[in-house]
Amino acid sequence: MTYTLIAVSSITYAMKAKRLLNNMGYYCEVEKTPKNMSTGCGYSIRVKDDPEMISGILTKNGITNKDRMTIQR
Amino acid sequence: MKTVYFDNAATTYPKPPSVKNALVNAVDRYGGNPGRGGHIYSYNAAEMVYTVRSLAADMFSASPENVVFTQNCTHALNLCIKGMLKPKDRLIISSMEHNSVARPAYALSKNGVRVDVATVGKSDRETLESFSKLMTSSVKCVVCTAASNVTGRVMPIREIGEMCKKRGVCFIVDGAQACGIIPIKLSDGINFICTAGHKGLYGTTGTGLLISDGAYTPSTIIEGGTGATSAELEQTGVMPELLESGTVNTVGIASLGAGIRYVNQMGMDNIFSHEEELCRIMVDGLSKIEGVTVYRRGERFVPIVSFNIEGIPAPSLAEALSQKGFALRGGLHCAFLSHRTLNTLPDGTVRFSPSVFNSEKEVVSLIDTVKKFSKDGL
Repeated sequence: MTYTLIAVSSITYAMKAKRLLNNMGYYCEVEKTPKNMSTGCGYSIRVKDDPEMISGILTKNGITNKDRMTIQR
Repeated sequence: MKTVYFDNAATTYPKPPSVKNALVNAVDRYGGNPGRGGHIYSYNAAEMVYTVRSLAADMFSASPENVVFTQNCTHALNLCIKGMLKPKDRLIISSMEHNSVARPAYALSKNGVRVDVATVGKSDRETLESFSKLMTSSVKCVVCTAASNVTGRVMPIREIGEMCKKRGVCFIVDGAQACGIIPIKLSDGINFICTAGHKGLYGTTGTGLLISDGAYTPSTIIEGGTGATSAELEQTGVMPELLESGTVNTVGIASLGAGIRYVNQMGMDNIFSHEEELCRIMVDGLSKIEGVTVYRRGERFVPIVSFNIEGIPAPSLAEALSQKGFALRGGLHCAFLSHRTLNTLPDGTVRFSPSVFNSEKEVVSLIDTVKKFSKDGL
């Protein structure tokens, strides 16, 4: 299964993103941002759907998202 | 002897059973540090904290990320007031402020901030005129209580908010005595609502809220761990973590969530009606007692009644009432400016503040005791 991790600016925004996407019917989980994705600690959301589309939804709802990483599990 | 608690303006007691249950449940279930780890305990705690953030946001028409958990209302006010003002700025506060506003303002005045005090008059119109006269182009912030913690007087917040909005002035409201009792929204022209979590919102002590409309970003007066951008020495610029350094009061937040749900379930109007009816009985009863002064100057009130018996200092009367089984607060209520405005220095007043858990019978019993003290002395 291929997932995308999208880094957000804080745990609060990660939770906001999760609630938003779950309410819209999209899969979304919160996890720590891996070290190889960004420096320092932080949180990301794990999504299965098209990352471009998800990123657009987040941006539209005021959730800043920059770094992304595709992972195979 | 059972003591009847009438000091809910200091902190509400008892708390609803659901608040106690939430507290115990939080100790058991939310043991992880929210936003500080990648394990299930941390995530579960973070989920709960975010849920309460959302509940608070809904109550005040805010976004969850603009809800900051604080230790109490004083903490929230200090974060806002000190974070918004720098030397040479001008600040207006009202003459009915608690020391949680007056003292930070005074501290800032010693560092070059000009502080003006708008006199609260007999009517809202007079009060608004006082604010208007002081509202020059150099004013950066106005801080006003939504309701006095001494007399319960409700201030014309919406009108002051409009005045601030027209002039591009930041408006900070101390909602300690109003939140959970009367509706207050950011849409009333307010930029920051600061409130306690342990009063009208029925959470436990050690909880408070700072609610922002996002228009202003205060400078920090506390920096530290936020669970994000840890490799940088610069404090994170993202709300709410910007103003939430250090571990938040997870169990307190859980209790606050239960308290907010309780208020929503009961209905703010119903809570207000019950408490206001108890105040009406109290005011009517006190008014019939010779030698008693009731301080109820104004147009609208939250459920607080301040009074004195002629010739008896307020702290002594409160102590005597305590011995008879009534918990009321006597003295200055940490509100020097208010008592100066009311001309009740140096001893202050005795303050009666019921909650949803008090009954008419308890109030009548208190009135009878005050009557005896007024007639026979302490």
